[in-house]
Amino acid sequence: MHRVCGSRVATSMNEKTRFMLALIAPAALVLLCFQIVPILTGANASFRDWTLHDPKGTWLGFANYLYVLRDADFIQIVLPNTFGFMAASVACSLVLGLLLALMLNKRFSGRWLVQSFVLLPLMVAPVIAAIMIRWMFNDQFGVVNAILEALGFEPLAWLTQRWTAFFVILLTDIWLWTPWFALILLAGLQSLPPEPFEAAAIDAAGAWRTFRYITLPMLRPVMAVCVVIRSIDAFRTFDTIWTISGGGPARATEVFSIYAYVESFQFLNLARGSAAAVIGAIIIVVFAMLLYRMLNRFVEVSR
Amino acid sequence: MSAPATTLAAPASESTGFFAALAPGGKRALFALTAVAICLLFAFPVFWLVLTSLRPASGVYYVHRGTEFTLDNFSEVLSQELVLKALFNSFAISTLATVLSLGVTATSGYMLSRFRGPIPNAWFSLIYVFRCVPYVAWVLPLYFVTQQLRIFDTYWGLLLPHVAVHICFFSWIMKGFFDGIDPSMEYAAMIDGCSRWGAFWRVALPSAVPGLTALAILCWLFTWNEFLFALILTAHETPILTVVMAQFVHELGMEWNLMSATAVIALVPALVVTLFGQKYVLRGLRV
Repeated sequence: MHRVCGSRVATSMNEKTRFMLALIAPAALVLLCFQIVPILTGANASFRDWTLHDPKGTWLGFANYLYVLRDADFIQIVLPNTFGFMAASVACSLVLGLLLALMLNKRFSGRWLVQSFVLLPLMVAPVIAAIMIRWMFNDQFGVVNAILEALGFEPLAWLTQRWTAFFVILLTDIWLWTPWFALILLAGLQSLPPEPFEAAAIDAAGAWRTFRYITLPMLRPVMAVCVVIRSIDAFRTFDTIWTISGGGPARATEVFSIYAYVESFQFLNLARGSAAAVIGAIIIVVFAMLLYRMLNRFVEVSR
Repeated sequence: MSAPATTLAAPASESTGFFAALAPGGKRALFALTAVAICLLFAFPVFWLVLTSLRPASGVYYVHRGTEFTLDNFSEVLSQELVLKALFNSFAISTLATVLSLGVTATSGYMLSRFRGPIPNAWFSLIYVFRCVPYVAWVLPLYFVTQQLRIFDTYWGLLLPHVAVHICFFSWIMKGFFDGIDPSMEYAAMIDGCSRWGAFWRVALPSAVPGLTALAILCWLFTWNEFLFALILTAHETPILTVVMAQFVHELGMEWNLMSATAVIALVPALVVTLFGQKYVLRGLRV
């Protein structure tokens, strides 16, 4: 299309540009008013002395950023927690989602029923799921401890210890997002051409080899996009963690969006919270770009 | 396709042999067991929610030890005007947000797919970067923006931010849909005298309908279940269902039974949409 237009005179270039701009104009307008302006307002506040009860607005430069980067809690607890949570959540839900997608791609009676059950977490509001799971893991009234006791184990105080609390949060996130991976990967599987599989069947390639050398490489582009999108979202997870543990016990399960929230709304230091949010955003922008490049290179190599 | 069989055969080749030796139906039985176990795991929290919603207020703390069941929670919740209003509002907001988001991102995705050059590159970088900014960094300034525009606590005040959230992700996905559609039909239409808009509206868009349907279903579900924006951007005038539900256990005491009853009511439309929609989602995402 562009080549045809490029050979014309300048006025047709303008017509094409006008068309391009008209196509994105509504989206750009909404994005500008409700995302770019608020984010820039927040970023502006991060350079100033701006607390909620005393918005002096004096320019401080990078003082807030330095404070966050020098905060031992941020470096030693919050960042490792955030990356650990992201990696564990994305890896587990990718593997489980892939297994489910492979299973649901088979023909068997009751497949529709299993698929509907697997999609259940997509229908529940994450905040309700989080409230419910906190309730199920309650140390006095929760059903999980009741089951443990019935089986003869010691009941656990799940949410008052670091690793068990982390486990509960992770479990919730994996439960919520595995169906999403399963759905997209199943759609990906169903769109693969049948010929390579037929050829593999004729050559009597085993199930594992067929999966390893045909299914996996062909599914990689879809998986790469899924992993990048999901990593970004896992990195900025807020409401499930906030509902289940609130970042506690103490600050043991705090991730960076909770750090930013606590700084802004509990210590009422909006500037410092914004600075933490901007730092997090920069980290994830760079990380997601590197991740995408890396996964894409794997795709190229595997072809 | 024979590939999926790997799920069970993957661990080791001995296991296949073992089950084959066990009985001809052994492998199938194992498969059925796995399927049932998966269903139970995914359904358990929802099952627990339904069970809690059927218990009287006094029995909630020992859900697993009682046998009393009642439907009173549902009638009590449905007699509250706040809940009914929230149900209606959530439904209206989800539906309108879906229509608006798709309308706005279909054109944006089409543009990203069909053109190369500095403008599409700039637009793509912009939506990519702004997608990464965490919600906590913009909900509070967003609250001030909606107040400035005098749309705080109205439909518009929640709708437009929801559309803004979807723009980045959906434009990206829509680009994928249009990438999968051969543009030569559009060129042919344009040679036959169709305008650029005509080529988009009459040729490209109808071919993208399966993808649009899939996104519409996902978008509706996400908006229906969204919590943080609804919490910050609405107050008494526009109650939203997720916020009302959470308030049963946060602010008005620990009314687990009422929260669960409301959550089960909220689950019904989502269930209907997913059960009838999953076929279209799968077909639509098959780029």
